[in-house]
Amino acid sequence: MTPTHSGCDWCPYGRQRMAHGDGHAVEVNPALRSDVPGVDHCLQEAMAIPGAVGASIVDYTTGFPVATTGAAPNDDHEAAAAGTADVVQAANSRSLFVSAIPHDLLEDLIITTAGGYHLLRPVQTDFDSRLVLYVWLDRVLGNLAVARHRMQKLADDLVAT
Amino acid sequence: MSPSKTVAPGRLLAQVAGERQTGALVVRGHPGGAVYVLEGRVIYAESPAAPGVGELLTASGRLAGRTWQNALDRGTATARVGRMLVEHGHLTQGELELCVLGATYDAAYFALAPQDAPADFLGGATHWLGPVVHIDPAAVTREVRRRAKMLDDIFPDPRVDTEVVTPITRPPRERITLTAPQWELLVHADGQRTPADLAFLLGKAGFATIQELRRLAAAGLLDLPGVRDKAPEFVRLPRSRGTAVDANRPQLRPDNSPTVPVVSGVRPAAPDPPAPTALTEETSANGTVYRPPRLARRKPGAKLPKELAGDAPPHTGTDEVLLKRIRTALRALR
Repeated sequence: MTPTHSGCDWCPYGRQRMAHGDGHAVEVNPALRSDVPGVDHCLQEAMAIPGAVGASIVDYTTGFPVATTGAAPNDDHEAAAAGTADVVQAANSRSLFVSAIPHDLLEDLIITTAGGYHLLRPVQTDFDSRLVLYVWLDRVLGNLAVARHRMQKLADDLVAT
Repeated sequence: MSPSKTVAPGRLLAQVAGERQTGALVVRGHPGGAVYVLEGRVIYAESPAAPGVGELLTASGRLAGRTWQNALDRGTATARVGRMLVEHGHLTQGELELCVLGATYDAAYFALAPQDAPADFLGGATHWLGPVVHIDPAAVTREVRRRAKMLDDIFPDPRVDTEVVTPITRPPRERITLTAPQWELLVHADGQRTPADLAFLLGKAGFATIQELRRLAAAGLLDLPGVRDKAPEFVRLPRSRGTAVDANRPQLRPDNSPTVPVVSGVRPAAPDPPAPTALTEETSANGTVYRPPRLARRKPGAKLPKELAGDAPPHTGTDEVLLKRIRTALRALR
């Protein structure tokens, strides 16, 4: 596996951009392209979280589900996305919850119901977007700690270089 | 290519999608835009009111302008710009897809929102970005309608979306609350930039920009050209002096004693103020000419009526009290 993206002769960052801080390199072999986590891949992985019933990526300024998979509460992904947007906006706009420490940011939101867990984790992109990853877990089959850990990795991998 | 005709762009999109066509739906008018369709699926949209993928990625600093330009130079001819950026490690597939999805829905709103606009379908046209996402056209038109309703629920005045953004200079309330995007918009609104200018400048989605602007307008923080005239007059202008005098007032003749409030006792034409003893009779003495606005004001140097004043101090000269009052007034002004 080539440690740098040798195919790129024009990028101004040169070769070091592909190396992570700890020195290991990212695979760029086109044959392994399916492993690159695109949006669909990310949602597939979210559905692989134990107990996952449905997952989506929601734009929380418009309340629109950019991508969805599996089930949604009341079988309505769009209504669920609109509700998701309200919850995230409420948590974000009332700075009470996120201003305890300077530069403290919303990490995730967990809503528990008798039948399930609803987990929301903002996806931080460098370009302008306001997205959250939403996963609906079955209460009995799901494990909150495992799901949070997996979602953190998914949200990071989606945008990390 | 069919001739340009005025249709509902959304209906034309549904038609070409039903026929599984490939090409570009070009909507003219203001702001207009284009929706790119590949075999009946929407792959991209662009509009002059919505920053595209390149603007979003470079304005945020995610990609250097040079990187983007190089990708354009090399990938445009083969319509592989998006794939090249991912293959060369400048973006992850996830980032590219999310960025394209966001930009597509954003531009589609501006292109498809008009109920009727001149629109053409250019069969066979492709976009240089290349197919990155494939969206169901019905989902796009449904979302466009939902967004239009969302804006009208906030503040039903579409002029906010296109007019030059002018923040009001004095907020209408003691306390206002702004979100971070609203602050950014107000700071950059210089009275010349349109919402589209601000979206491109800040690298924000065009719809998100007008959504925040409508919220600002609803909060009364934007100066809208038409609304400005209808707004109540908050600042009361001083009345021009010429009209303040009662037109029916009697003519003042030089031999008249001064009508009521005599502030200055040194008016040369005025006769001597009546003697202090005659003060209680003042009404009959000089009130014959001008009655209505009589104010109970003492003349300079006048004494209180006997029944109110005890032992009055001796008369100290007409102007002394006046001068003291002027001095006090001047001090208060300082």
